[in-house]
Amino acid sequence: MGRYNPQAMTAPSDSLVEFTDLLRGFGRVPVLAGVSGQARTGQVLLVTGSNGSGKSTLLRCLAGLLRPQAGTIRLREDGRELDAVERRRRVGYVAPDLAFYEPLTAEENLTFFCRLRGVPARRAVELLATLGVPARRAAGALSSGMRQRLRWAWALLHQPRLLLLDEPFQNLDEAGEAAVRTLLDSHLEDGLAVIATPSPLLVPRLAATLDLSRHHAASDRPTAGRAGTA
Amino acid sequence: MRHFWHWLLWLWIALAIAGAFLYAPLAKDFIGQSSRILFFHVPMAWGSFVAFMTAGVWSLLYLGKRQLDHDRAAQAAVEVGLLFCVLATVTGAMWARVMWGAWWNWDPRQTSIAFVLVFYAAYLVLRGAIEDPDLRARLAAAYAVFGLVVAPFLFFVLPRMATFTLHPDAVVNTRGKVDVDARMLQVLLVSALGFNVFFFWLHRLRWRLLRLEARRAAEGLTMMTEAQP
Amino acid sequence: MSAPGSLPLPAPRAAAMAGGEVGTPVRRWLGEATAVFVKDWRTELRTRHALHTLLLFAVTTLITVSMALGPLGVSSGERLAVLPALLWIILLFAAAAGLPRGFVQEEETHTATALRLAATPSALFCGKTLYSASLLLALEALLVPLYVAVMQLPVVSLGLLFAALAAGGLGLAIGSTLLAAIVAQAQGRGALFPILAFPVLLPLLLLAVELTRGAVAGSVGEGVLANLLLYDGALAVSGLMLFPIVWNP
Repeated sequence: MGRYNPQAMTAPSDSLVEFTDLLRGFGRVPVLAGVSGQARTGQVLLVTGSNGSGKSTLLRCLAGLLRPQAGTIRLREDGRELDAVERRRRVGYVAPDLAFYEPLTAEENLTFFCRLRGVPARRAVELLATLGVPARRAAGALSSGMRQRLRWAWALLHQPRLLLLDEPFQNLDEAGEAAVRTLLDSHLEDGLAVIATPSPLLVPRLAATLDLSRHHAASDRPTAGRAGTA
Repeated sequence: MRHFWHWLLWLWIALAIAGAFLYAPLAKDFIGQSSRILFFHVPMAWGSFVAFMTAGVWSLLYLGKRQLDHDRAAQAAVEVGLLFCVLATVTGAMWARVMWGAWWNWDPRQTSIAFVLVFYAAYLVLRGAIEDPDLRARLAAAYAVFGLVVAPFLFFVLPRMATFTLHPDAVVNTRGKVDVDARMLQVLLVSALGFNVFFFWLHRLRWRLLRLEARRAAEGLTMMTEAQP
Repeated sequence: MSAPGSLPLPAPRAAAMAGGEVGTPVRRWLGEATAVFVKDWRTELRTRHALHTLLLFAVTTLITVSMALGPLGVSSGERLAVLPALLWIILLFAAAAGLPRGFVQEEETHTATALRLAATPSALFCGKTLYSASLLLALEALLVPLYVAVMQLPVVSLGLLFAALAAGGLGLAIGSTLLAAIVAQAQGRGALFPILAFPVLLPLLLLAVELTRGAVAGSVGEGVLANLLLYDGALAVSGLMLFPIVWNP
């Protein structure tokens, strides 16, 4: 049967994400040049900047999809420090390039991920219902708005503490955005979020804003020795 | 001072060549002078094996520390190793022609060296197919570490699984088991040492070249030899 | 489409907290591998792309070979040497054409991102390998009888034939899965795969051909099957160890 860790339920609910001096370039182009920030339980860190300023790259690094060339990332969940491998599995990630298996229905997609994450399949059904995604429709047949709702459902399956949201309200209609904001609010009761957006956005519990364009302009010259050479 | 070691190496190899033709006796079952090729063919093969193992080790180091310089060392090792491997294959074919009348006949050892050749040539093709330096280094390193399993298998195990061969196994087994004439052994070892040191020297040169190329790319300099738009 | 009502706070958050997830680690791992296997087959049965590719390729090659050999085919003296080799060449090329999709498609359709965040690498690797192996075994089940009939392959020992097909097929699948994971992240995937795969798979092929010759002759030399299984094992261990590095940054 299930094995609950009683400690986890009563530990101080202090979660934190913190990144320091992140460096990440592609070939000769330095996209992230010494970026730092943090967020705690109940807080939102907003990341803004023009296209190409590194918002998605930052979120990918935080999610563990990219390895920064320098700098550190720290994630603490409920008082427990997570290593890079655990962090990757524990984050909730919403991004425009997240895709699902087109021949499978929305429900089949999510129950697959439920099995991967060791989460009961009814979580998938609940979230799909809450977000109003037609469970029996093939993922390939969903409209872009529905796909975005599906991404949200996927991100919340395993009840993450840290949500990494890259343009999270993209393609959503009024009802969709309302549903998703409700979920975000309840998530923020004991979770935190880093939200990236190219245009001004109203977010709850905004704790800090990290503007990558200004950061980028300051270090725009291809600096020698930065691309990881000996 | 450095040049002293280079001159010593050239002298050493010259000694090996002289020894191969003047000092060492001819092997019994070989046609004419053809056994002399062993003093070059075998060290080349050993050298390529050492090179590929070196590449595997540097790749492991890269995967641990993620320093791109280690990946360059691995790449250099594979490149020089391929050179040695090609030479080993060619000298082997030359010898096969003299001994068995055909340049190529899928004798177990010929098969092995051919597979090794293709395996590491594929390493370079893989590198060429990836743009991002970090991804390229990681995937190439994984492949080279895979080579740490595949290469020993191809070099040592496959030739002994001789069920698929039509020919008997290599007439001279120089894996140290057969009793080889003392003088032949001496020349062989001298030659092997010389060529292995030569490998390390070539490797260092190639590694330095790769490092310089990377630095140049990072600083955005253009050389006059590059084509103008 | 239901209106967004108040969301009941999800049943114990504790259940999904790190360290408190449901099931023992081994059962969860098996569950993951099975889930990947089932998902791949479910997707495959709906689109049937891989099956079509494999089957069409193999049958076309078989027809070409048979035609090229003419009405008399291979003389009975040559059959032992030639026919097993041709069979495995067809299987190898079909595998190279149809198996890499397992990972290439994940990368191309961008579903790999979700997998990277949700799956345990070793379980993913095993699931994908089993999927590839089952695809290949399905192909063998359809192709080999056809081959035996068309090429008039005289099989004496069915046991040896099954052993060759199973062990050889498994090895092809394991090697293909690992290399497909590498190739999927590079450019020129279609052409790159055979280049990477052949040096690794050819020794396997030699052993499988030898074993198949044994099936025709009635007996096989010592240690061939053992060597084949050993090679499969080496591929499996290498794959399990290298896959996490290939898969995750």
